[in-house]
Amino acid sequence: MDFKLTEEQELIRQNMREFCKKHVDPIAVEIDENSRHPAELFQKLAEGDWMGMPIPQEYGGAGADQLTFVITVEELSRSCASTGFTISTHAGIVCMMLLLFGTEEQKNKFLVPMAKGQHLGAFALTEPGAGTDVMAAAATAIIDGNDYVINGTKTFTSNGPTAETFIVFAWTDKAAGRKGMSAFIVPKNTPGMRVGEHFKKMGLRSSQTSEMIFKDCRVPRVNLLGKEGMGLQMAMTGFDHGRIGIAAQCVGILQAALDESIRYSKERVQFGCPIARHQAIAWMIADMATDLSAARFLTHHAAWLKDQNQPFSKEAAMAKLYASEAAMKHTIKAVQIHGGYGYCKGAKVERLMRDAKITEIYEGTSEAQRMVISGNVLR
Amino acid sequence: MPTIIACFKWVVDEAYIRRGPTGNLDFSSVDYKIGEYDRNAIEEAVRLKESLGGSAIAVTAGVPGATKGIKDALSRGCDQAYFLTDTSFGDMEPSQTAAILAEVIRSQIQSYDLIICGEGSSDLYAQQVGPRLAEKLGIPCVSFVQKLSLDAGKLSAERRVEEGIEVISAPLPALVTVLPDINVPRIPGVKDTLMASKKPVVTIKKDELQRVGEACLLTISLTAARMERTCERFGTDAAEITRFVGSLRKKGVIG
Repeated sequence: MDFKLTEEQELIRQNMREFCKKHVDPIAVEIDENSRHPAELFQKLAEGDWMGMPIPQEYGGAGADQLTFVITVEELSRSCASTGFTISTHAGIVCMMLLLFGTEEQKNKFLVPMAKGQHLGAFALTEPGAGTDVMAAAATAIIDGNDYVINGTKTFTSNGPTAETFIVFAWTDKAAGRKGMSAFIVPKNTPGMRVGEHFKKMGLRSSQTSEMIFKDCRVPRVNLLGKEGMGLQMAMTGFDHGRIGIAAQCVGILQAALDESIRYSKERVQFGCPIARHQAIAWMIADMATDLSAARFLTHHAAWLKDQNQPFSKEAAMAKLYASEAAMKHTIKAVQIHGGYGYCKGAKVERLMRDAKITEIYEGTSEAQRMVISGNVLR
Repeated sequence: MPTIIACFKWVVDEAYIRRGPTGNLDFSSVDYKIGEYDRNAIEEAVRLKESLGGSAIAVTAGVPGATKGIKDALSRGCDQAYFLTDTSFGDMEPSQTAAILAEVIRSQIQSYDLIICGEGSSDLYAQQVGPRLAEKLGIPCVSFVQKLSLDAGKLSAERRVEEGIEVISAPLPALVTVLPDINVPRIPGVKDTLMASKKPVVTIKKDELQRVGEACLLTISLTAARMERTCERFGTDAAEITRFVGSLRKKGVIG
């Protein structure tokens, strides 16, 4: 067993760290405060081939493996969880689904510009009445001539307001149950599609999230992704990939919480010595460091399985479950270590704590992860 | 079109050095990097190549584990690299480093127009390898360079000296040592890093080199700088000043 990263992976981590110090850290507070999508930052990420990392070079990506991608999302999220997540969704789910299920024509038309970072992608599955219960979705896609006509409402669509290419899920045959949903590639500004306002969120504020309304929205039949009826199955594959990305995002949040807690507890003096020397604080930091390592190993293992072409659905769910709950638990502790200063705007731990919460909710709640894991082990 | 050589040293990243309880330096969890000024040297070599054509060659002497440094240099745009390696090359003196760099440049690269070194290494900052290398190769050396251009077989360089800026012209081939102001090193893209290992690397082992000279200096110990404060306070009247002087005498600061 070899726990060592390759030299390339180590260099890419160092390069991303340097990129973050130079381009992400200086704006992270501002984009959180203003809920702003930093287009200029994504332009720079595109220039460094960071936007399509796990996609092969012939489709505009960098051709990196999943583990290298995970390390990058981790480092980005250590500086700004919103930016880490945006890339994770864009490259890890939307680009990946086009790579796995798209036709050659679809890949050339939609995947190449996305993998090059020329524009963002979004994944629209969740509906107002269908969260964890995907089967409760109501959106439909009916064939009419050479088109599918989509009707319905999607919500909590990450990158909704900023994306150019959407993967949209809708029933083509509701009676067929799990084999009745299909996925469609819908370009922005397709008549009949309307992107709602960016939601004001507790955390992850610079990541743009919105509703999407489809009213007699016509997309050509060539925009069907995969086969008719495969939608749900493809969505689950997308989630499996996405969960590794969210786990990596959580590892980045945890690392940042630990960095901040170590730095502050060595500086802050109470009762005559730095608070790091008080056992109450030292043990919080010990637990944080331990859970960080555990989360990282689970995440890297899931990514490694994907790179070995082995099944990784259960491991991705485990990594996402463990890392997200650890991120929430320890960002609360990190604020505790910082006391009143940690509760104020401007303290990084305050942002980390708000950003951590969503990781227990999106791309499958913790409860949904437990459903996936128990479904696997109780088979 | 010029052939430009960039020399670099693979050094301990100081951010990872910890201070032990007795002031000793703990290197147990350190990582390594291309020295800060050497990154400017590589960047300048690559920029010149990108604007004038030709090629940029990275050269380093280091321990076998420094292969990551080679990939780093290649990911920054160098076309090929020469890696002079041995387990004993981790703590060479500048004279030894300059000697083997000169030997390899003379015997393997032969035809070149410019050698660029960082003004000093990030660890010891002796500022000697560049000038010594130029001396051994018998070529002009221009140090403290903050701006550089090549034209018609000669270089033009701005040197930052104490009194101001000196503009120098020198015939090629020549060697320059550069300051960090000369450029902002790029952050390699993902593809640059992934493609780096596909570029040619010539590895030269110690026994392929003529005798590496003996070291003149012996490092006995390395400890962290320590500043001790006595926290004594003094007033400004005559009696206090007398007490202040007495205190300095007692500590042997003044005679």
